[in-house]
Amino acid sequence: MKLEDLFAWFDRTAQHASRSVAQQSARRSFIGRLGSVLVGASVLPLLPVARAASGTARQVSEIGDPQSCEYWRYCALGGTLCTCCGGSTTECPPGAEPSPISWVGTCHNPLDDKDYLISYNDCCGKAVCARCFCHNAERDLPVYNPAKANDILWCFGTESRAYHCTVAVVLGEAKA
Amino acid sequence: MSRLRLIALVLACAPVAQAEIAPEQIGTTTMATPTETWLMVRDAVGAAYVFDAASGDMHGLLSISRFTPALQPHPNKPELYAAESYYTRTVRGERTDVVTVYDLPTLSAKAEIEVPNKLAALPFRQYIALLDDERHLLVFNLTPAHSVSVVDIIDRRFVTEISTPGCALVMPTAGRGFLQICGDGRLQLIRLDASGQESKRARSQPFFRIEDDPVADRPVPAGDGWLLTSYAGQVFQASVDGEEVRVSGPWSMLTAADETGNWRPGGSQFLGYHAGLNLLFALMNDEGGYSHDSPGSEIWVFDAVAQRRIGRIALEQPAAYLHVSQNDAPLVAITGEDRQLHVYDALSLRHVRTIPEAGTAPGLLQGVLR
Repeated sequence: MKLEDLFAWFDRTAQHASRSVAQQSARRSFIGRLGSVLVGASVLPLLPVARAASGTARQVSEIGDPQSCEYWRYCALGGTLCTCCGGSTTECPPGAEPSPISWVGTCHNPLDDKDYLISYNDCCGKAVCARCFCHNAERDLPVYNPAKANDILWCFGTESRAYHCTVAVVLGEAKA
Repeated sequence: MSRLRLIALVLACAPVAQAEIAPEQIGTTTMATPTETWLMVRDAVGAAYVFDAASGDMHGLLSISRFTPALQPHPNKPELYAAESYYTRTVRGERTDVVTVYDLPTLSAKAEIEVPNKLAALPFRQYIALLDDERHLLVFNLTPAHSVSVVDIIDRRFVTEISTPGCALVMPTAGRGFLQICGDGRLQLIRLDASGQESKRARSQPFFRIEDDPVADRPVPAGDGWLLTSYAGQVFQASVDGEEVRVSGPWSMLTAADETGNWRPGGSQFLGYHAGLNLLFALMNDEGGYSHDSPGSEIWVFDAVAQRRIGRIALEQPAAYLHVSQNDAPLVAITGEDRQLHVYDALSLRHVRTIPEAGTAPGLLQGVLR
């Protein structure tokens, strides 16, 4: 997507959704209502995060500038970078609501030479933050396969569908 | 004549001059009748600019919701339909999704029909379609579960919602039917009865593998069927024969040398087709795999009957959106990040004109008539 698409309709992101909201009943009931195999596919990869949050899992070693579209986590991100908008790679900027569901990419971390599952969550409910536009489409699939599609406004299950920016959360190592 | 006498003469004449000019009245014009070369440029901030590609003139602007994916013209009435989503406080508050009926001469809303709050929001042309009965309008929903809302535009009421798991887009076919692309590599046909309820559902044989080479979600109408392309430039022709969905092909947009050069079709609206001349136009880039969203640096022209390339246009600026008019002397319009609309003669492949300032962030291009 180009800048044009941004302004209005784009949405993506939200992470700490996958860490904290993942355990909240509201999210689970929302997903339950959706009852879709496709939604299930997009949510399942969140499970490793829940394990990581509760255990002794290591932090991912990283290199690069999180405000650059070239940053390794952004290999399938389409939207604007929350890191340029007052947020971080895992936190929405102030007042924006993370979308509890997301699309998932697989990105290669150059530092440890391993592949990781990355959840791209949109931050929602505010005007678009038109900074650091970034569109990478590695392994991106068309909208008939939404769990791996980034040309979707991902503010689902949020108070508002208005797109603000996107975060990129490491869910876990992608093991074949 | 002395200066004093000259001033006196001018002053004396002034009231006379004023009386000779009729005072102007403020008013509002209506739009002229559109032709095949008129097109709408979807702007990201909730507007569609109406231009004539043949003259470069702007004829008006349609205000639409910023979530509206595309507009659907009526083939025989001066009306347009838009799926829209509104919040009472712009980015917060209560959400209402509607299909708005726009009057073409005044470019103003004249009716609206409430639909489920599920419409898919990004600019895809085949997120809205009117069936051949000219009564039932389809709105594609994404929550992210897939479904289709059916709207009766004659009685102006929401009819029903049809669940279509794993299948996206709405591509009308004859007999009150529509096709969808599905993740299992097949096309799905759904027919409605006269009341707008689903009456038939069928699928084609598998013709692509999503793991290997997905078919893009940007199909274009091609005569009585649809033309689809894969990420790697394979072209498929889809049609419906009775209750059977047929897919022919594929043929490749790429020669061996093109493959070596990493050429791929790409852009947010990379494909256009002229049904009368069987010409296929595609924005192409040389960025290789997964460049299906990257803007094109060239337009390639294919004879879809001979299934080979017959021309290419190198662009001065990359373009992400392309539209082909359907008249006998077709024009190809493209736009991209330079916010300008560039128009080419589709037969001579020569640049005709550039329309500057085609919106704040110009995007999806559509004909006003179809």
